[in-house]
Amino acid sequence: MNKDLTIDILSSVSKPARYTGDEFGSIVKTPEETEVSIALAFPDVYEIGMSYLGFKILYHIVNKQQGLAAERVCAPWTDMEAQMRGHDIPLRSLETDKVLRDFDFVGFTLQYELSYSNILNMLDLGKVPVLAAERGDNDPFVVVGGPCVYNPEPLADVFDLAVIGEGEEVLVELLNAYRDWKKAGRPGGRRGFLERAVAIKGIYAPSFYNVEYNDDNTVKEVVPVYDGVPKTIEKRVIADLNDVDFPTAPVVPFGEIVHDRIMLEVFRGCTRGCRFCHAGMVYRPVRERHPEVLKALARQLVDNTGYNEISLVSLSTADYTCLAPMIHDMIAEFKDERVSVSLPSLRIDSFSVDLAKEVQAVRKSGLTFAPEAGSQRMRDVINKGVTEEDLMNAVSAAFKSGWSSVKLYFMIGLPGETDEDVLAIADLAKKVQWKYREITGKGGCKVTVSASSFVPKPYTPFQWSAQNSMDELRRKQYLLKDALKVKNITFQYHDPETSIMEAVFARGDRRLGKALYLAWQRGAKFDGWSEQFDYERWLHALADCGLDKDFYIARERGENEVFPWEHIQPAVSRAFLRNEYKKAQRGELTHDCRRGSCTGCGVCQKLGVEVKVEG
Amino acid sequence: MKLRLKITKDKSIRFISHLEYVRTIERAIRRAKLPAAYSEGFNPHLKFSLASALGVGVVSYAEFCEIEMAEPMMAEEAVEKMQKALPRGIRILAADVTATNAPALMSEAGGADYRVTLPYDKPVDAAVQAFNAAESIVYAKAAPKAKTKVKEIDVKFFIPHIEAQQQDGELVLTFSCRITPNGSMKAVDLINTLNQQYNLNLPAEKADIERLDLYKYDLRGNKQPMLGEDMVVVGN
Repeated sequence: MNKDLTIDILSSVSKPARYTGDEFGSIVKTPEETEVSIALAFPDVYEIGMSYLGFKILYHIVNKQQGLAAERVCAPWTDMEAQMRGHDIPLRSLETDKVLRDFDFVGFTLQYELSYSNILNMLDLGKVPVLAAERGDNDPFVVVGGPCVYNPEPLADVFDLAVIGEGEEVLVELLNAYRDWKKAGRPGGRRGFLERAVAIKGIYAPSFYNVEYNDDNTVKEVVPVYDGVPKTIEKRVIADLNDVDFPTAPVVPFGEIVHDRIMLEVFRGCTRGCRFCHAGMVYRPVRERHPEVLKALARQLVDNTGYNEISLVSLSTADYTCLAPMIHDMIAEFKDERVSVSLPSLRIDSFSVDLAKEVQAVRKSGLTFAPEAGSQRMRDVINKGVTEEDLMNAVSAAFKSGWSSVKLYFMIGLPGETDEDVLAIADLAKKVQWKYREITGKGGCKVTVSASSFVPKPYTPFQWSAQNSMDELRRKQYLLKDALKVKNITFQYHDPETSIMEAVFARGDRRLGKALYLAWQRGAKFDGWSEQFDYERWLHALADCGLDKDFYIARERGENEVFPWEHIQPAVSRAFLRNEYKKAQRGELTHDCRRGSCTGCGVCQKLGVEVKVEG
Repeated sequence: MKLRLKITKDKSIRFISHLEYVRTIERAIRRAKLPAAYSEGFNPHLKFSLASALGVGVVSYAEFCEIEMAEPMMAEEAVEKMQKALPRGIRILAADVTATNAPALMSEAGGADYRVTLPYDKPVDAAVQAFNAAESIVYAKAAPKAKTKVKEIDVKFFIPHIEAQQQDGELVLTFSCRITPNGSMKAVDLINTLNQQYNLNLPAEKADIERLDLYKYDLRGNKQPMLGEDMVVVGN
């Protein structure tokens, strides 16, 4: 517990238990037990950070090692930050009350582009120089990982090292390399360690690369500064998830967090091949855990946490080969202990609905489906592989089982989208309502339509496409809003400004670092929270750095344009992505390689791993 | 059968809310795999209760938890299992078992001892003497959630006597506070009362409040421990 946080300070802030730690399952190592320390830093509030499975995994993996200590720190909410800055209180870890500056590593996860400002803010609060170039021998190494690491360039001025891909093995290798370097008397200083670090597969040091630009501002080439540095950094993957440790005694927070239940990871990767989906491209290939392994993990997790719900998580749990028999077994095993099993998302078919019925035997909260697009043409463009009939079958099964409310997720602003495609979303929602009347003979079916604004992400087939302008996104929102003025249909959407800035930072290059720094200096933080986000502040910061957001988001990129992120490799081939982009334009589908033949994305061959299904 | 535990809310977790404390105990019961009873119905919940809702920020060495058991169990065994399942900031001090239909502990509580520590180096002796000599002191307490309403309480009914010690710029107040079926008063309201009545300037927001004990009174008015004579004492 942070001793600087006195009674009067903690009494004055919201949710003070966010800052005091000492939860069941937290691991506190003594200084004698700690040769190398890393702060796992989550750039958002405690309730979100503690719900993040990646950090549960790394906390466990690191702390299991003798001599290595992982501790936690989350972003203080604005009320606490005001207190800390007012009393000159530094940001400290929950476990041993250590200031970030005093760690060997501070590791941030890049979950969301709009959390980048919080990274700068947390470093500053933790007394770590915000810019990598300003860090000295006594400062920690700032390391980043997570999904956005496949384009970390807008943060290149801030972090020293990035871990590309799955962290279980490579993070331990990195910390051990640090231990060796420290024992050897820190040869070569900071740079000496960076040189050792990039010799590890999957580690990227942005300071070892120069970016050259063309006259039109596009990237010409990313050049290593010396010979020993690899030209590209390939992601690390765990070949067999049955062999890797999974946390069975995670920290159990006192308060309610976002995912307040057991999170059991069923598999990694997803090969459905939805063309908008970043996770589906960068986490390949599919690797399933064996059902017996999962059942054993579930047993230990229930025993160690006391939670009464097991959520089977993955990118698409309904696709798990052994799902139905495994769920039956788990329900039977845990019934007497009042532990339920839940699915975070449903596939659009009656199989999923039947499973949902089984696991949610009691609570009939609404079911959620994600058709993603309203028209068949558009669903084919994005390779969703779902028809209207599939959706009608799924909702029919749900209504027959007693559900009377459905939530439907869509995107607007997809490449090639017309007004007809947008309006088709409203038609689909109405057809779902009609289906309810047809089946039950009653009205009153509640449909919630949620439409998010599409962000074309790196390493997806749509990385070449432009994002819709703000005016266009807003116009489409109103178009849909008008078409959805129907009793019992609720329409949810967000201001497009955040999606615009998300796209800029998802698709941007190193030059954005200056704008990020400026926006942070002018008060940007918690940009993922709409009440904290200030679009004008970001526009001014970009303009004051001579940058144009439209250069990053409003133009179709050339077929052969070098992307700022191309030296970071999730191993999916550019030719495959380009071919998928062409197929999207023709509305052609690509099948799932989990059950069908190889579709040629190149990941397995390049990484020397394979699709692993347990069925 | 009912298992009754005397437990702490230590300094390190003083800022978790009452609801968070309740959830923590509930999960600990599940981790400990005590044969606890569940309610009937579609949404079964554990049958257990806590004797009092402690304010956020208040440390306690005398919280009481009653757990209804579906099967009998020795207090010693239950304590051993529960202690392993509790976070560091909750220690079991004593335990006993009793009949399921025994009266709820809270209905028997008659008083609590408190210690309040705060930074203060100005004299307080006169104020403390005046407080102790007073017949009655009416304190107007703002009712929670209704800012215009005030509730008047007689502080002396709840807290007849306080003791004060001052050392190194720190003031330590110790006192007993009466608990009735209709409620009690908060320790922080004593600080507010002293400030109002005797023109003191005690920094209530910095008060380190600890509940030292909770007890009942017998017919002769003597303090008696909450748990039965056969209780297992495991700490203090």
